Amino acid sequence: MTLYESEIKRIRSIVYSNQGQIDTVIATRNYIDNNYDTDLNLNLLSHIRFVSKFHLLRLFTKYYGQTPKQYLTDKRIEKSKEYLKKGKNITETCFAVGFECPSSFSTLFKNRTGLTPTEFQKEQLSQSRSNADFETLGIKPKI
Amino acid sequence: MLILKLWVLNLKFEQMKVKVIGIPVQDQEKALEFYTGKLGFVKKVDVPLGGDSRWLTVVSKEEQDGPEVLLEPSPNHFEPAKTYQKALFETGIPYTQFNVENVQQEYERMVSIGVEFSVKPTEMGTVKIAVFNDTCGNNIQIVEML
Repeated sequence: MTLYESEIKRIRSIVYSNQGQIDTVIATRNYIDNNYDTDLNLNLLSHIRFVSKFHLLRLFTKYYGQTPKQYLTDKRIEKSKEYLKKGKNITETCFAVGFECPSSFSTLFKNRTGLTPTEFQKEQLSQSRSNADFETLGIKPKI
Repeated sequence: MLILKLWVLNLKFEQMKVKVIGIPVQDQEKALEFYTGKLGFVKKVDVPLGGDSRWLTVVSKEEQDGPEVLLEPSPNHFEPAKTYQKALFETGIPYTQFNVENVQQEYERMVSIGVEFSVKPTEMGTVKIAVFNDTCGNNIQIVEML
């Protein structure tokens, strides 16, 4: 057994010994992954797993290093990029990923990515166009 | 006046970004073959740097505008890099890690094309991991969030 394998075992026995807690946070994360487009909140998530919301908040943060709210926001931003790349407009994208207000969505998107949704979409479109132009010329683009 | 200065500073201030991470490799051509052929990365930048060395980067096929992996020949040019790489390899410690959707499936796919694993798919709390030999002097870990 390598040093790394023995370290894996040692850390697992210290940090990940409570399987019940692990099952709870994994199920919560999976629920967020499958329902990020709905009106999710800590109350709802805690009811699903029959735990108090404060306990769930502590557990989720302990095992994933971020709060459920932070995780949900990251998930929604990641998904919104996919929708924008596919050509959905900002309002459609905003509602499709579970945000309620297009202007708040745009502000949050810019904070997280450095670009507004419109700028991001333009950048993606120009990249795919330039790749298509290269292909038309018979040149394989590097990207 | 102060507000104007802050506004100007704000315009000029740009955050640092993560664009490239380096992995030391003993043979860049062999590394390129492995990282593109077996792992599915795509070559992005290839600039000759004199001699046999190149600025050679690959990116994830699904995130081609994402971070680039620099396959750097440091073990051949800098003895401490070679020593460090060797020590990590011998103790089974991964040099870096990549995320995958499903570790078990990726493990089976890679084993079927001859990639060797030092750690088989193993659950570790909220993640599942496995560690393989990149044939260029490194252990690399794949990770799935559970």
